Amino acid sequence: MRKKLFVIVALCLLALAAASQTWAGDEIPIGVISDLSGATSSVGKPYADGIMACINYLNSKGGVAGKKIKPYQVDYAYDVQKALTAYKQFKDEGIVALQGWGTGDTEALTGFVGKDKIPTLSASYSAHLTDPKKAPYNFFIAADYSTQLRAALKYLKSTWKESRAPRVAFVYPDHPYGLAPIQAGKDYAKEIGFEIVGEENVDLKATDATTQLLRLQKQNPDFIWLGGTTPSASVVIKDAQKLKMNATFFVNIWGADENTFKLAGPAAKGHLSLQAAAIYQDDTPGSKVIKELTKDQPQMTHYIRGFVSVLVMAEAIRLAAAKGEITGPAIKDALESLRDFDPMGLTPPISFFPDDHRPNMAVKLYKLGEDKMELVGVETLERTQAWLGK
Amino acid sequence: MHGKCGLFFTSYRSEAQFFASRFQKICLVLFLLAVAFGPLGLRSYHLSVLTFINISVIGAVSLNLLTGYCGQISLGHGAFVGVGAYATAWFARHGVPFFPALLGGGAVSAMVGMVFGLPSLRLKGIYLAIATLAAQLILEYVFLHWDSATGGLHGVPVASPEIFGFAFDNDRRMFYLTFVFAAIVTYAASNLMRSKSGRAFVAIRDFYLSAEIVGVNLFAYKLQAFGVSSFMAGLAGGLWAFYTMFITPEPFGIGLSISYLSMIIIGGLGSIIGAIFGAVFLTVLPEVLNIIAQWGGSYFPNISSSFLAMKGGIFGLVLVLFLIFEPEGLAHRWRLAKAYWKLYPFAH
Repeated sequence: MRKKLFVIVALCLLALAAASQTWAGDEIPIGVISDLSGATSSVGKPYADGIMACINYLNSKGGVAGKKIKPYQVDYAYDVQKALTAYKQFKDEGIVALQGWGTGDTEALTGFVGKDKIPTLSASYSAHLTDPKKAPYNFFIAADYSTQLRAALKYLKSTWKESRAPRVAFVYPDHPYGLAPIQAGKDYAKEIGFEIVGEENVDLKATDATTQLLRLQKQNPDFIWLGGTTPSASVVIKDAQKLKMNATFFVNIWGADENTFKLAGPAAKGHLSLQAAAIYQDDTPGSKVIKELTKDQPQMTHYIRGFVSVLVMAEAIRLAAAKGEITGPAIKDALESLRDFDPMGLTPPISFFPDDHRPNMAVKLYKLGEDKMELVGVETLERTQAWLGK
Repeated sequence: MHGKCGLFFTSYRSEAQFFASRFQKICLVLFLLAVAFGPLGLRSYHLSVLTFINISVIGAVSLNLLTGYCGQISLGHGAFVGVGAYATAWFARHGVPFFPALLGGGAVSAMVGMVFGLPSLRLKGIYLAIATLAAQLILEYVFLHWDSATGGLHGVPVASPEIFGFAFDNDRRMFYLTFVFAAIVTYAASNLMRSKSGRAFVAIRDFYLSAEIVGVNLFAYKLQAFGVSSFMAGLAGGLWAFYTMFITPEPFGIGLSISYLSMIIIGGLGSIIGAIFGAVFLTVLPEVLNIIAQWGGSYFPNISSSFLAMKGGIFGLVLVLFLIFEPEGLAHRWRLAKAYWKLYPFAH
């Protein structure tokens, strides 16, 4: 009797093991590091929603290369140590790719993902992550911060009508994320004939920027680069209106979005937001899908970038599967073979090269209106080798 | 076999030993066996949590030395850990082998800690807390802007440690390595507290004036506390750098300082074992909450992200409840439990 029981138990265990084996084989495990409750959750939540929505969407269409994507999501609350342990957990689950989030976790994981050969698509668009010599397994789907700033400067210069040189100032937080594009922006501004008249720091948690703006007001800039996040950028925009400054702000990708209208109100009108993806109201093939998925509940543009990030990853997984097996290095090779991949029109076409991980050189410029953003132009730069990683 | 009904020492030597009873020694051996063989069956996620526990134990024990024993509140401990990390990384990049690099990192951190400990001569309590907060902010600024040494916002890569050609390049090896350091630091700190310096620290904490009257040099001992504490914090930072292989200014912010402070408050101020409990508790709690959140999310997929986000609130709630119901920390609870079992089954 006991023997029988033993045999049955053993068989059950074997069956379970076998089942879990095949179960794992039918799915593509990927890690998702999100900030749903931490310092950057106001933009981290929509981005993560976009990622999960796209995974569900792809799975509902039969998955990628016949296999379902199995996401493992961890909310790391912008705590780097938490991101590292989350990554270890993902590794135990055998993930083949990772969807990362911010500056802190992405850079802390650069060493690990390089060693473990796990291609990572993040939402930290720091230029130095685009140099495969330094970060071989890091990718992202928007032009890097420096490229965005350069492209915006080029656009502003091309629309400049007066004979004098346009005056530009830079306002940014003294933080790795805020500092990232500043040197590149200053060099390029000088190169194409801007006059740099000022530079101020406004903290990410600032509730007042009057002091800094009063100093800038004396220099009378025509354009002001505004780095930061939506809350801090809104503070600056509101204070500028109070001081009756007539400069045009051009705000970086995380600094002006659909929340700006709530936070800054009418002060936002006329300023420019630099974006990489479409906005919800746009009319692209991808927008139709997203509108269907979200039942016409408007989502932020960060949601759309999260969506695209998974689309690009899925395309690479598909290519890798077609060539053979789905492994980290194979997905990396597939990503590096992408040429002008169009993610349903949601972002400008994306290409990666083995020696250059810049997805594209394009920035979309949206003008902030009363309560919505309006596309005023897409500026594309040359893929200049000297700018790689800077 | 008849055991003694208490611990009776017949020599100073036996009184001074760490583990006085046979039961303690057996427990220690069992613990070491568990540490030696347990990791063989663990996966890298668990090992990484254990490694972070080791690193946190070093950090918490070192802060408890300064704050719990010597009474000098420090809000800059996270930055001192960062100094150790950056200094170790700098030495490692310039070809210094593992041990000297780590000790060098600790030494640099000790020097920086002593410099920022200087105001402690004049400042006490909450005022010193603000002064060390300033240290935190200044050091954060240095991490971010001293490009040539810290890599600025791009950070610096660090190679895995190698000792005599043996590379500590996976989670299991790093766990053993960090455990050895955590054990050494704990041992050193416990010993220090039984020495002249340790007693001077406690005297300063209890009442600085009395301490000075009985001949304790306040300034020298306060600086010593800052130096030793920062040295150990530097070791924690160095191990962090070697483990994560890439350091940027972000992890060493005010949040890290506060989490070390919470560790020693939850564990029990002025107790080595308390610091260890606090470090374990605060490192494991978010992971446990995360597992619960993921588990909950798999049953209710539509609200999985609300589940994940909820754990921040639960974390805070647990801390508050803890402080209300166990204000003297986990170490106190541990003593109560020990007292209970000592007399079992006759405890009342």
